[in-house]
Amino acid sequence: MAGPGNPSDKAAADRPKRARIEILVRREDGDGFETREVASVSAYLESRPQRIPDADCELARLPAGLRGATTYVLKNRRTEDYLQITEPEKFLWEQMDGRSSLQEIGTAYVLHYGAFDFDIIPALIAKLRSAQLLTMRPASRLREVLARNRRNPAARGAEAVLHSLEKLTVTSRKSHDVFARIYRYGGFLLFTPAAGLALLVLVALGARGAVLLWSESGEVTAALARHPVAAILLVKLCFWLTVVSHQVMHALACVHYKRRVREFGFTMLHGFIPTFYVDVTDIFMASRRARIVNALAGPLVHLFLAALCLSVAGPLRPGLLKGFLAASAILQLQSLFVSLYPFCFLEMDGYHILVDALGAPTLKHDSVRFVRESLWPRLMSGARLGRQEVVWAAYFALSLVSIAGFVVLNVWVLVHASRG
Amino acid sequence: MASRPDVTFLRRVPLFKDIDEPTLRALWPRLRERRVRKGEVLFRTNDPGDEMFLIFSGSVVVSKPVTGRVEQVLKHMVPGEAFGEMCVFGDEQTRSATIQADTDAMLLCLHRDDLNRFIEANPRAAARFFLEMARASFKRLRDTSDLVAEVTRWGLEATGLDVEHK
Repeated sequence: MAGPGNPSDKAAADRPKRARIEILVRREDGDGFETREVASVSAYLESRPQRIPDADCELARLPAGLRGATTYVLKNRRTEDYLQITEPEKFLWEQMDGRSSLQEIGTAYVLHYGAFDFDIIPALIAKLRSAQLLTMRPASRLREVLARNRRNPAARGAEAVLHSLEKLTVTSRKSHDVFARIYRYGGFLLFTPAAGLALLVLVALGARGAVLLWSESGEVTAALARHPVAAILLVKLCFWLTVVSHQVMHALACVHYKRRVREFGFTMLHGFIPTFYVDVTDIFMASRRARIVNALAGPLVHLFLAALCLSVAGPLRPGLLKGFLAASAILQLQSLFVSLYPFCFLEMDGYHILVDALGAPTLKHDSVRFVRESLWPRLMSGARLGRQEVVWAAYFALSLVSIAGFVVLNVWVLVHASRG
Repeated sequence: MASRPDVTFLRRVPLFKDIDEPTLRALWPRLRERRVRKGEVLFRTNDPGDEMFLIFSGSVVVSKPVTGRVEQVLKHMVPGEAFGEMCVFGDEQTRSATIQADTDAMLLCLHRDDLNRFIEANPRAAARFFLEMARASFKRLRDTSDLVAEVTRWGLEATGLDVEHK
């Protein structure tokens, strides 16, 4: 029982009273009226949420996750928004027929499940209302900080510059037809066993080329060092162009599994990183295999290009071309690793494969929240962590160690290079 | 108004509280009595108007149409309060809200022409009158902005819209 000093009591006391408005309702004959106060909470309970027509939405079942719980993906066909919902949320969704009030829906929930979670309905309604959950444009923290400091002329100037750069965004929402055509006229070959075999052969040739390059590494780096500016620009430019093929592969994989490519474009990520992007969130409606193939398709481009560069560079005579190919190959391998490595707090392709395998779509978010809010009290109380909590803690720890390792490695390379 | 001047009542009306007694006695004959029964609508939003009213007894409800037969209650007014002055002095000569009697009520109404004549004849009293009217307008403005905030809060709570965590 809550005592007088209980924090929850204090929170309840600090919370403002529910708002009330007074309305006046006239009688039908026009003579006379009555006024009554309506509390927001009763209006909420009496509201009758109505789901969109069945023809406008699609529900797909996802495989059981960590806890063995079945989840679903709900798609709004008109806006192409997606929402992951649990079994109880699916039950509530089905009750939202426009005839049942929230109070009645809550009662139905209690009768069905024998208990009631008071947060589930508001949380579900908030989720159902969220229209842009899966937008491919990341919100920039930098922009938020600049917006908060508009009084500062420097921040204002930086914001204006970023705003101008953001206008460089080029987007096509009709790109699906283009990718469907590319797929039809040859793209489909990339998803055949022959393509897989060809990649394996190329990787073997690339490995051979890498061995050859290793024995001549001194000459290769010397050739690059003779033309440093040209080498850096060339390597960076070519790498940047390969980002397009990474995104194109994601799009083709999406088409391969008969899902829709929602958007393809070019944007200045965070206002200053030029990048291409593709919105293939429709793949969530496909099978797990499809999602994993889609996530792998992009990074495999880097493996292909790295193997190609290495296999061509290996037999070449030392020079700028050989150095350029070797540096490009290293950059491509690095991209492959970065794309597939899931433990870095970034939601790259590897992360998507991991969360799909674990059946924990909000792993990063849950993990950060768990560590920030619950881990320490749990450890202090000596309570044993559940399987899911171990996964959250492990993800957080691995990501932290990985980032620290990355920083240390870079510092070591810089120090080593400056000494050399 | 035929009855004996009720200076005590006029002093309770903020608009007239700083005006001297002889001036109020002179104003009294210009006030016309108007009785309304409980539930009766005195005027509706957008009706034309050229009078302001003082509530002598009873109470009225000020409301604004929302939808169908439903209106938002803006205020309950009690004896000593005045309304309708926006129509007399404002740009638009139409009523900005609907007034209906909450109980049987007696109102004193002052026509625009009578008020203008009173102002022209009593410039010092007019200055005090307008000062009080400005104060009353500021208070209404503050009350209205508070109401807007409260109605917004109501809307957020009633719809369960979680804007803080979105």
